[in-house]
Amino acid sequence: MSFEEKSAWGSLIAIGLVAYWFFPAAFDIADSSDNPADLFVLSIGCIVGLIVVEALYHSVIASRGSADSDERDALISLRAERNSGWVLAIGLFWLVGHIVTVSAVDVPEKMGAMLIAVWILFTLTVSEFAKLGSQLWYYRVDAG
Amino acid sequence: MSKTNVRNNIRTLRFQTNEMTQQQLAEHVGVTRQTIVAIEKERYSPSLEAAFKIAAALGQPLDAVFRYEP
Repeated sequence: MSFEEKSAWGSLIAIGLVAYWFFPAAFDIADSSDNPADLFVLSIGCIVGLIVVEALYHSVIASRGSADSDERDALISLRAERNSGWVLAIGLFWLVGHIVTVSAVDVPEKMGAMLIAVWILFTLTVSEFAKLGSQLWYYRVDAG
Repeated sequence: MSKTNVRNNIRTLRFQTNEMTQQQLAEHVGVTRQTIVAIEKERYSPSLEAAFKIAAALGQPLDAVFRYEP
């Protein structure tokens, strides 16, 4: 398994675990709390934690073998980024459409700014999953 | 698992070149061993530059290593 493939597996697992813990708490805060600081602290905590775990993991896999990447890694990365871009675009268009539609019909419960922020983070996370999942698919099943 | 239209004789030529390993060929070409594996299995078409480097490492002209089958 190449460095890039190990990296993708590690990132997928790390982001999956953080997302599993973060999003229920974040949606709960967005629904029940009026204090944006709660969401900010939670988000910063998760981001810092993720960066530390990823840095440690990548230093371990780099120390155990070559961290070189080549033309095939670059091609796979580009294809995966394209898939990720589609997922991100679809998610953000859905969110914008939802906000515009809800604003137009003037329903009593509009989406608050904190909830919008959490949905944007959710969309970013799903697009990152799409990227890492695509990378692993191209490495394992298709060759890129 | 989709195969490319570029066929190759890398595996045979490696054994005829002092039983060169995939890792040795990868180091000659400047790619990872996984990329050599993918090229050998015809699951990845290398760039023209990598193809020339593979042919040079095996001491063969390009068309003795790779051929295109539509």
